[in-house]
Amino acid sequence: MGKMERFSFVALVAGIIFFLFADFISWALPMFVLKDIPKKSVNDLAAEAIAKNTSAWSDFNKIYRFYPEQFKKFCEYEDMYSGAKKVEDCVPNEKTFAKALKIGHRWYVAEGCWNCHSQMVRPVSNETLRFGIPGVSNTVSYPSEYQNELQAPVLWGTKRIGQDLIREAAVHNIGWHVAHLYNPQSTSPGSVMPGYPWYFEKDKNGNIVPNARGIGLLTYIMWLGSWEVKPPEGFRIETAEK
Amino acid sequence: MAANNQDLQNLVNYGLVKAHVAMGLIFFIIVAIMGFIYSLQLDGIYPFPGIEFLSPGRVRMIHTAGAAYGFLVNMFTGLLYWAVPRFTGYRILSNALGWFMFIALQAAVLITVVSILFFGMADNVEWGETPWWLDPIIVFWLLLHLLQFGAPLYKASQRGPLYVTGWYVAAMLVWTPLVVFMGNLIPRFWAVGSGAGAVQSTFIHDLVGLYVTPVAWGLMYYFVPVIMKKPMWSHGLSLLGFWGLAFFYPMNGVHHFLWSPIPMFAQYSAVFATVAVEFAVTSVLINFMMTLRGSAEQLKYNVPLRYMYTGAIFYWITCFQCAFHVTLTFQKVIHFTDWVTGHAHLIMFGTFGLWVLGMAEYVWPRLFGKETMYSKGLSEGAYWLLMIGVLAMFFDLTAAGLVQGFDWIGLNPWIDSVNFSKPFWYFRSITGLMMLTGLFMYALNFYKTATAKAGLSAELREA
Repeated sequence: MGKMERFSFVALVAGIIFFLFADFISWALPMFVLKDIPKKSVNDLAAEAIAKNTSAWSDFNKIYRFYPEQFKKFCEYEDMYSGAKKVEDCVPNEKTFAKALKIGHRWYVAEGCWNCHSQMVRPVSNETLRFGIPGVSNTVSYPSEYQNELQAPVLWGTKRIGQDLIREAAVHNIGWHVAHLYNPQSTSPGSVMPGYPWYFEKDKNGNIVPNARGIGLLTYIMWLGSWEVKPPEGFRIETAEK
Repeated sequence: MAANNQDLQNLVNYGLVKAHVAMGLIFFIIVAIMGFIYSLQLDGIYPFPGIEFLSPGRVRMIHTAGAAYGFLVNMFTGLLYWAVPRFTGYRILSNALGWFMFIALQAAVLITVVSILFFGMADNVEWGETPWWLDPIIVFWLLLHLLQFGAPLYKASQRGPLYVTGWYVAAMLVWTPLVVFMGNLIPRFWAVGSGAGAVQSTFIHDLVGLYVTPVAWGLMYYFVPVIMKKPMWSHGLSLLGFWGLAFFYPMNGVHHFLWSPIPMFAQYSAVFATVAVEFAVTSVLINFMMTLRGSAEQLKYNVPLRYMYTGAIFYWITCFQCAFHVTLTFQKVIHFTDWVTGHAHLIMFGTFGLWVLGMAEYVWPRLFGKETMYSKGLSEGAYWLLMIGVLAMFFDLTAAGLVQGFDWIGLNPWIDSVNFSKPFWYFRSITGLMMLTGLFMYALNFYKTATAKAGLSAELREA
C-alpha cells in the first residue's frame, strides 16, 4: 500500500493514466465515431448556402438591399480576433457572406449570447414542437449540422433564459431582429434581454439601421438553422392555384 | 521536521500566502459583485443599460472566468503555499518563482477582464472564456505551478509515503495543465461540433473535478485534523475516496450535454461514472463526519472549522442531488434551467467558497502573529449571512428550475417561463445581496486583523 502513496505513482497512475483513459472514452472515441462527417470551413458554409439558395442567402441579399450604405462600411470592416479582412467586391457573394458569418459569430460569442440562448434542440421535452416552425424547420439537432468552423468550440450553450436559436432562420424576419436587438422589449414584452444599441446607427432619415458589426450579427442569426428550412408541403401547389 | 516557530517561518513564505489570499478575497468580492449586477438584469433594473463594455453578457463571463482564475486559483495557491511546506517539511522550489507566478496570475486575470469587457475577445467555452491566445500562457503558468509545489512533494515522497493531502495535490498538479490545454485549445483548433462539445463538457467538469475538488479536499485533509488536533478517522476510507475520485471523476464531463448529438455511449458512461463518484464522495464524507465525532463541540466557537463542515455537508447535498439529476430522466426537465445554476452556486460558493474562507480565516491571524481574528462578531455575522444566503439561493433557483422546465415541456408561450421566473430572480438578487454583505464583513475583519496594532489574543475576546 505504501507505493500507492508516493508522488510518482499518484502522478503517473491517477494524473496521467486515469486521465487519458477518461479522455479516450469521453471525447476521443466520440470524435472517432464522428470522423467521417466532413468538417466545413466558413467559406464552405457560404458556398453551400449560395448553391442551395437557402433562406440565409436570400436574407443576406435583403440586408444588402435594405442597408446599402452600411453594407459598404461592413465590407471595409476589419477585425483581428476573427481574422475578418476588407473586401473589395462589395456585393453579396461567397466572400462577403463568409465574412458576415465570421463577424457575426465572433460578436455573438463576445456578447455572451450563448449564456442565455442555447443552440441545441433535444429529442425530448417537446422541443421539436417548440423551436423552429412545425413542418418547415423543426427537426431535432443532429451531429453533421455542427461539424463546421463556427461550432468550434460548439455553441450548444449552458442555459435558456431566451429561446433556443438553432432553428431561428424561419421564425423571425430581418426587421423583427433589428427591432429586437435594438430594444428587445419592443418586440417581446416582458423579456429580460438587454438591448444592444451599439450594433446600430441612425441613417439620414433617422431610422435605426444595423452598422458594420450589426450586419454580421444579423446575417449570423438569420443563418442559424437556414439549412433546415424547407417550404411546407404543398406550398407551391397552393400558391400556383391562386 | 520543523520543530519551533522560527523553523516554520523559514519553511513557509508568509508573504506569498498573504498576497495570494488577499488577492483571492478581492477577486471573490469583484466576482460576486459581477454576479449580483448580472442578476439585476433579470430583475429589469440593470444599472448600466446601453453601455457596451458593461453589457450583462460580458459581465457574466467575468463572473465565471473570474471565479475560476481570479478567486479560486489565487485562494488555493495561497493556501497551498501555507499547507504544502508544512505537511511535507520542505520549502517550495523558489520564492522568486513564487512572486513571478503571483504577478503573472494577476496580469492574466486583468488581461482576461480587459479583453472580454473592452475588446469582446472571448471564447465560448464555459469557465474557459479567456481569449484563446492567453490559454497557452495559462498552461505554462500551470507547469510552473507543477514545479513549484511538485518539488517539496517529490522530496518528501523520497523519504516515505505522502500524507493524504499530498496525493490530492500531486494528482491535481499533473491534471490541471492537461485539462486547461485540452479544454481551451482542442475545441478551437482540432475538434469541431459534437466532438468539441464532448471536449468542452469534459473540460468544464474536469476543471471542477480535477483542479478545484482535489485541491479543496487536499486542504480539508490538512486543515481539519490540524484544527481538531487529531488524525482522520480512517486511512482506508481516505484511500478509497481518493482513488474513487481519481478514476471516475474525469469521465463525468459529458453529463453536461445529455440528449445532445454526442454519441450515446459517451453519455451513458458519463452518467454511470457520475453515479459512481457519489459513492466515493460519500466515503470521504463518512470519514470526515467520524473524525468530527467527539469534537463536535468545537463547531460552536471555532468559525473556521464550522465553515469547513458546513461546506462538507453542502458538498454532499450537491453530490447527492447530482446522482439524481445526472440521469437522462431528470435531464428532460432540468437541463438549461436555473436548477443547474442553483447546483453550481451551492458547490462553488457553498462548498468551495466557504471552505477557502474558513481556511483563510484560520491562516490569516497566524500570518500576522496574532491568535485570533479582529472581531468575533464580524466573523460570526459573515458566516451566517454567507451560509443562509447561499442555501436560500440554492432552494430558490432549484424551484425556479422546476417551474421553467415544466413550463417548457407544457409548450406554454415562452414569455410565460420568463414571467414565472421573475419572483424567483428577485429573491435570488436578495440572497446575492446577503452573500455580498457577508463578504464585505469578512473582508473588513481581514483588513482589521492585518492592521490591528496590538496582538489579538484568543482568551480575552468574547462574542
